[in-house]
Amino acid sequence: MLRSSISKTLANASPRASCVAARPLLARAYHEKVISHYEQPRNVGSLPKNDVDVGTGLVGAPACGDVMKLQIRVDENGIISDVKFKTFGCGSAIASSSYMTERVKGLSLEEAEKIKNTEIAKELCLPPVKLHCSMLAEDAIRSAIRDYRTKRTKVGNPKKSGFIDVSQSAATGETVATAHPPSSA
Amino acid sequence: DLPIPQYHQYADATMDKMLESLETLLDEVADSDYEVEYGSGVLTLKLGNKGTYVINKQPPNKQIWLSSPFSGPKRYDYVPEQDGWVYSRDGRSLNDLLNQELSDVLGRKVDLGLADVSTQLS
Repeated sequence: MLRSSISKTLANASPRASCVAARPLLARAYHEKVISHYEQPRNVGSLPKNDVDVGTGLVGAPACGDVMKLQIRVDENGIISDVKFKTFGCGSAIASSSYMTERVKGLSLEEAEKIKNTEIAKELCLPPVKLHCSMLAEDAIRSAIRDYRTKRTKVGNPKKSGFIDVSQSAATGETVATAHPPSSA
Repeated sequence: DLPIPQYHQYADATMDKMLESLETLLDEVADSDYEVEYGSGVLTLKLGNKGTYVINKQPPNKQIWLSSPFSGPKRYDYVPEQDGWVYSRDGRSLNDLLNQELSDVLGRKVDLGLADVSTQLS
């Protein structure tokens, strides 16, 4: 299992009862929730980057030892219908991003961008040195949401069904209106 | 943009000063549950059941990273205009944050003296 080279990881620095291991403390022990995400990560994979309804967040840096790619597919109601991730990094980074993908599925963009790193850290019982991993996961979902919104502003479509496209010639002053009736259900 | 040798010089000065100030502080507080250690660029400040700080140099980003048991993780860049380490998202300095949090948790006025980094280079 990948170990962080940063420092000795305290197994259970937090006094919260749910985070205390039943077995004797080891010098470097990952909480069983982190191990679960590491061994069975949820939602690993990729979505097509160029799809108009897909937002891609890419955060971190290889030199730091952590890179997270998190992608969301958003439906016409602004709900995250699908989410995939790929993470290069320690067990805590993988677990943080895996947990984030589980957490945001089915949420609106507004709800997803409110998820705080503290929630992830608490859920996974991350030790002090690994709180940065949860922050990175928070950054990743926000980056994906920002990317999706940027793509949407570039894709304005006046010829969308249900709209009337109105244009006026600057030379003649003639106005032309073209209706695009909604397609029948 | 800070050149790497300068980053190390400034970061080392800050970490050394931090260690020295914390050792003095813990001697004064004299609580056996409290301890501070520093090695390989990583400083660990244990405050018993109140929590543990981990503060480390992060050379690839030219930053100092902080993990606080009270306010969570933050990343600090050296800002020449302030001659100190500042968290860009809230504009607050490492010096301010640590002084305020440690003053609160220890119930006494704490000043680690981490401002004016360039005056502390060895």
